[in-house]
Amino acid sequence: MRKEYREYHFDRMVQSIIHFASLAYDGTPKEAFGMFRYAPRFREAIETILKTGEPGVLLLKMIDKYLIEVLTAHERGKKIALCTFNFSPGVLKPLDVVPICLEPVTTLGVMMWLRGLGEYLNYCCEIGFTETSCSAQRGALGAYLAGLGVKPDFVLCNSIGVCDTNATAFNFAAEYLDLPFYQLNAPPLLTDERSQKYHRQDFRGLISFAEEQTGKKLDVDLLREVIIETDKQDMIMCEIEDLMRLVPSPVPGIFNVFMYSAKYIYGGSKEATDVMASMLEVAKRNASEGRAGTTSGKEDARAFAVYVDHYSAQLRPWSWLDSKNISHLGCMMNGFWPVHAPYAEENLKEGTYIMDSTNEDTMIDSLADQMSRMPMVKQIRGPYDDPHQWLSDTMASIRTYKPDFCMYTGTIGCRNTWGAIKILARDTEKMGIPTLIIFGDAFDHRITSWESMRDKIDEFLTVRGILK
Amino acid sequence: MIVAGCDVGSLTAKAVILNEGKMLSYAIIRSTARPEESAHSVMEKALEEACLSFDDIRYTVATGYGRDNIPFINDAVSEISCHGRGALWLMPGVQMIIDIGGQDCKAIKLDKDGRVVKFTTNDKCAAGTGRFLEVMAKLLGLSLEELGTLSAQARNPMDLAAACTVWAQTEVIHHLNNGTSIEDITAAINQAMAKRVAMIANSLGVERNACITGGVAKNVGVVNYLEKLLGVKLKKPPRVDPQVIGALGAAVLAYERLERNKEC
Repeated sequence: MRKEYREYHFDRMVQSIIHFASLAYDGTPKEAFGMFRYAPRFREAIETILKTGEPGVLLLKMIDKYLIEVLTAHERGKKIALCTFNFSPGVLKPLDVVPICLEPVTTLGVMMWLRGLGEYLNYCCEIGFTETSCSAQRGALGAYLAGLGVKPDFVLCNSIGVCDTNATAFNFAAEYLDLPFYQLNAPPLLTDERSQKYHRQDFRGLISFAEEQTGKKLDVDLLREVIIETDKQDMIMCEIEDLMRLVPSPVPGIFNVFMYSAKYIYGGSKEATDVMASMLEVAKRNASEGRAGTTSGKEDARAFAVYVDHYSAQLRPWSWLDSKNISHLGCMMNGFWPVHAPYAEENLKEGTYIMDSTNEDTMIDSLADQMSRMPMVKQIRGPYDDPHQWLSDTMASIRTYKPDFCMYTGTIGCRNTWGAIKILARDTEKMGIPTLIIFGDAFDHRITSWESMRDKIDEFLTVRGILK
Repeated sequence: MIVAGCDVGSLTAKAVILNEGKMLSYAIIRSTARPEESAHSVMEKALEEACLSFDDIRYTVATGYGRDNIPFINDAVSEISCHGRGALWLMPGVQMIIDIGGQDCKAIKLDKDGRVVKFTTNDKCAAGTGRFLEVMAKLLGLSLEELGTLSAQARNPMDLAAACTVWAQTEVIHHLNNGTSIEDITAAINQAMAKRVAMIANSLGVERNACITGGVAKNVGVVNYLEKLLGVKLKKPPRVDPQVIGALGAAVLAYERLERNKEC
């Protein structure tokens, strides 16, 4: 790692950028856009977020608050847990633990920094990771392993059996930083009684582990607050997703990433609910005016990403789709599977969860069910075409949102999906949905540049007659 | 009605001039760092060949990586579409095009009406592109043509294990040092190249009516191995350099668009 990178703490730098960006709209729009002239390196990403108005501002304020909580956790006597993204952070609040949601923090870095997180990604390789280890961790984790951020107290992982490169990264971190480690396991099936029982017991094991680390008991009143707030968020999210079924979709494409960011970083908190409620207002307004969620208000095509979005390159993928009047209808990261989700068709209800605040046991079971259905944990735990997994979920999203095309971006590091994408694409093509596979890393633009990916998407849209 | 097609690729720029749907001339030059400069130079060369000037051209379509930066064009069309159109114009009925350019390799499938229905390109690295052959030819001190023809004289064709261009060089140097004949090494190089391309073509499903275009189509060694691996005889573009198919397709599209505009 270059010397100058060792001079500053990564998480502090990300928080500073987000903090000042979140203040931009406290003045007049003229002042805000005047200020952007002085932030050429962050301008594109921040403008793309703030262009959405109140939801963008609330999102940035929410992320800022979250990052401050991480940075000040130890001062406030709280423990810090290093977590996977597909981990409902709500459970940690009643345990008095602050999570570092590793992938979302990597995402913030790659979205905001013009040069990406190459130095931190490389650092992981310098100390023992392989170059094909998951880049979603290597970004922020490189900084934490180099001591350029707060020091976590323990590690919680929810990707074993789901993604080996992800899970081993957390294992590596625990070993390297000499931290206690707990990993939730994902059996290959989801809805059978044995798996459900396993998940609920496993989750109780996680709570006991965290209680041991903090010396505090789970606060049941706080847990109830989290459950009630999570339920509210799920209802709003389902309403937004229901609006996405309209043609044109009134939901701005970038709202999908706002939605899952809010869930991953602050699921179960009031701040996340506010962000979602604000998005819902915008979407409803667009719907009442018959406008698409794109800047032009028109929709020429509808896109669905069967895996993750592409986060590097300052949010350009979203701006580009928007400039082409393409409604982005979300990706696998949006598939949380609450019971009211529009894609949870009758025959798939078994794969959903509910938030039940009746008593401590039902609340813990609710969170355990939610954790076992988090994006990726649900879809890629076993064979791609098993019930309630990747193929079935993708088909459900296609039937619900009726996209004109599907996209996949991934690399060898995304082993569980990279290994099956060609057969999944064959199946979606059979359904009549043109499907594009791109070799590209969502967190590392050095693998395939956005420009090169954009050319490929453009070519695909032309050749398949999707955009005339 | 004179129209032009201009294809500014990563290594070479190509231009084709058509008059009433018949080819008048074409030109190929090495690309420079500026696409607009490459486009201008190659067009000038093709026009000179046909004793014409820029003013004579009624419509120009550009394609290739640099297509959006060319100031004098009427339209820009994707490479896949141009290659498909060019190949179909020269070889009616063709259903699959394997195009191996300087820095990419594509397989394109057409339906019975000549519409592009599917395509795939190489990713991850430059193995399986013209660049691989250039590097190897330079290493052996051969021209690209010799690299193709010499492999037919191989007595004990060997195998290159490395897919990576740089590591394949190391392997070739090792074989040179061991006294392996140049012919056997060229056979290994062409075979390695053909294997990479065959994998890309097979991923789309090979059609019987397939053709090969791009600069590498001139390498008989690669083409022969590829035919063996795919189990089909590959058509080669008649009467024209296989490198200019993209530019030709662009010119055909220019002609068709001008005709359509006239009808409107």
